[in-house]
Amino acid sequence: MKSRVLTLVLLLLAPAVRAAELPALWAERLASVVAVEFYTESETERRPTVSYGTVIDRQGTIILPPIAVNPRLTPGQLKEFKVYRPGSAQGVAGVYLGQDALTGWHFVRAAASLARELAPITNFAAATRAEPALAEEVWGIGLRNKDEDFAPYLLVSRVALIQSLPQRTAVALQEVAGPGLPVFNRAGEFLGLAATSFGQSFVQFSRLDRSGAPVILVNVEESSAFQLAAEVLPHLGRVPANVFGRPLAWLGAHGLQPVDPEVAKFLRLDNQSAVVVSEVLEGSPAEQAGMKARDLILALDGQPLPRLKPDRVVAAYVEREVERRRPGEALALTVLRGEARLTLAVVLREEPRLMSEAERKYFDRIGLTAREFVYGDAIALRVKAATATGVIAHFVKPNGPAGVAGLRTDDWVKEIDGVPLTTFAAAAQQLAAIEADPQRPEFVLLVSRGGETAVLRIKLK
Amino acid sequence: MLKVAALGLALAAPAAAAMSKGFNRVLDAVVRIDVREVAFEDGAKRFAASIGSGVILSPDGLVLTNAHVASPRAVELSVTLASLERVSARLVGWDHWTDLAVLQLDLPEVQRRGLKFTHAEFGDSTRLYVGQTVYAVGTPFGLTRTATRGIISNNNRYFEDSRGVNGYETGAFNTWLQTDAAINPGNSGGPLVTEDGKVVGISSRGYLGANNLGFAIPASTAQRVVEGLRRGAGITRSYIGLVPRALQDLENFYALALNTGLLVNSVDPGSPAARAGLRPGDILLALDGAKVDGRFPEQLPPIQNLIASAPVGSTLRLTVKRGPLTTELAVVTEKLESRVGEEWVLEKWGLSVRQVSRAFARENQLETTAGVCVIGVQPGFPADVAGLSRGDIITKVNQQPVDSLDRIKGVHAAFEARPAPVLVEAQRNHQVTLYVLKP
Repeated sequence: MKSRVLTLVLLLLAPAVRAAELPALWAERLASVVAVEFYTESETERRPTVSYGTVIDRQGTIILPPIAVNPRLTPGQLKEFKVYRPGSAQGVAGVYLGQDALTGWHFVRAAASLARELAPITNFAAATRAEPALAEEVWGIGLRNKDEDFAPYLLVSRVALIQSLPQRTAVALQEVAGPGLPVFNRAGEFLGLAATSFGQSFVQFSRLDRSGAPVILVNVEESSAFQLAAEVLPHLGRVPANVFGRPLAWLGAHGLQPVDPEVAKFLRLDNQSAVVVSEVLEGSPAEQAGMKARDLILALDGQPLPRLKPDRVVAAYVEREVERRRPGEALALTVLRGEARLTLAVVLREEPRLMSEAERKYFDRIGLTAREFVYGDAIALRVKAATATGVIAHFVKPNGPAGVAGLRTDDWVKEIDGVPLTTFAAAAQQLAAIEADPQRPEFVLLVSRGGETAVLRIKLK
Repeated sequence: MLKVAALGLALAAPAAAAMSKGFNRVLDAVVRIDVREVAFEDGAKRFAASIGSGVILSPDGLVLTNAHVASPRAVELSVTLASLERVSARLVGWDHWTDLAVLQLDLPEVQRRGLKFTHAEFGDSTRLYVGQTVYAVGTPFGLTRTATRGIISNNNRYFEDSRGVNGYETGAFNTWLQTDAAINPGNSGGPLVTEDGKVVGISSRGYLGANNLGFAIPASTAQRVVEGLRRGAGITRSYIGLVPRALQDLENFYALALNTGLLVNSVDPGSPAARAGLRPGDILLALDGAKVDGRFPEQLPPIQNLIASAPVGSTLRLTVKRGPLTTELAVVTEKLESRVGEEWVLEKWGLSVRQVSRAFARENQLETTAGVCVIGVQPGFPADVAGLSRGDIITKVNQQPVDSLDRIKGVHAAFEARPAPVLVEAQRNHQVTLYVLKP
């Protein structure tokens, strides 16, 4: 009887005891967060970027949030990765491993010397996969800037809302962690990873504008939204095998647009969602399976698309369902075409060459980076990929000869000096020969922009 | 002293000539035009009023003005004569390419009220020289019967604007007279006259924010267009889909003799020129055997006009140089169309639409011309509530293709008679979305 009373007393005391332990929990969990600095090299400049990352294994593998790297950059332009522990001015070298298509995470691995000091976030995973309760107190870590040695600081909040976007995402009352950094409960269990912050609408008044103008503010240093552990832990093994994140599953149903509840009701689609396929891409698995533009996708492998809010989330849901599969896997799509319901048997394939994989070469005297024409360009330009040739002006140096002649970024170069371009190599060779010839006063490009062409005369002297 | 006075007299002589009989007569032929026109832009029919100028051209009361003053959208045209009496008028025809429109005064009304007017005469605009004195007469800012004086600043100005006349294309087929005679809003459609009172141009536009840079359509162009419009059927032009560019400085690259050829900058996809095999980067050497010289921008409109003047459906022979080779291409012309299609408002839906034209479809890389483009929605009306917005292209209503304006008008009429939800398929930036318009 006596001992029983004692247990009861201890149980009642437990929360207070745990609260007192926060400094200890904090110190331990700080070993799971790092700041990652790297340089992005473009044709004319070199720029440092800092992102926050979470440690996922004992080899010192770190995941950075999707926004850490500009999608226009190719991995070759990312240089000198350095990993810093919070509060440290001394970084150690890191290696960029690539981006995973499903999660969007960028993977970096810290040198072994630092890896020993780090603690993977899995150390703090909860025994159960339960979601945090509404109003539950949560805390996370923020990191200051480099000039303050990435000093860590505490953020505390409460869970205000949990939604499927389509990933299960909690929104806290206020900022709870730096983007990409972990969030914990009071027991120190890992709850999730802070996502890019939500934009918040404000009305800005000024002396000039007394009626106020709406502005959306996004806190880029801290976030109040975090993807729950169940969206994080199962994917930690998706360390890319290469910097481009291949293999990449490809369906080829392009421009998926959600169907709102009114339209669903009109089409007598009860309690389920659908997406319209704007375009079926040339030569894609979707085309081969007989999909047509304007088909409505109703179900994947027999599972009706869930009702998600906001409506547009369902398009992301379909895309993720493709990304989570591998090339070669089968996917059964139920579609509505007019009045008919059809089942299309798709076999996913490897995604065509990406823009980040495209070859590119910078010609400084001309002021132009020529990039290989890839499948994505054909989609953007609305031309047949099978027959399109030429190169893309990936970068045009401001006030350089090509820029002065009127060439713009993303222009499609079809001919050089009246010679139709075939391969990237041939185009690069031709440009290199022009650049290497000091006597050359000018040359002529035929470029296409928005379906119209123009002849541009580029003066070299 | 005497010499100076004599000189003063000599200088005064041209000024006296300005007050010639001819000049006074032209003053009496200048009119103010008050226009009430309908606009469909905001998902509703709205009326707007504006003021322009014009000049009476014939004893039977034809009035010449700008296309951006009087267009088919005008629902009420009222002309103020030199006597300050107002007479109603109707639109005979317009041509936005040259920014000209012709009105007909209500002659029975003129006779009934015993009103008098004079008419002006065209002068030879091809003989104008830079520095020649000209006068602009019109209604700047509603100030009736204002004359301003200047000189011809340039008699062959190239100025093309794909949206220059209330969103319609202008300037591809004519060059302009440039003058420093003050041209302000409201001068539009008024005549530019010489000292002897001959109409040599129609004042049309000024550069906003610039000083004394005014433009007028030359009489040589105006005369031709008036002849076409007064017959009432409008002006029909031919189109082949060749987008030219001045060769300027590229003769060496294309190994051309000086003053020969015109550069094909672009060929519209699917156009007659594209079908005939014309390619961008080609050099057009001759049209139906006649040599063309498109070295400078101001030489392009006459060449374009030559193509446009061919009868629709006729075959043009293009002599084309491509690399070292010269070939002949036969191109069958099509009727020239504006990018701006017919407009309408579907009032119960609060939705303004414009028919997709061939030129619009091409410009926006649409696969077909089926569909109507949303040009405005009225807040709170079904189209707005459903989420449609300006720029969307409606391709289907109730799962039927919108192959004409009448098709969507029909569905709207049915909705008006018996309101029931309507399914709309539209695309925005080539992304297809479905909407339901609810009563």
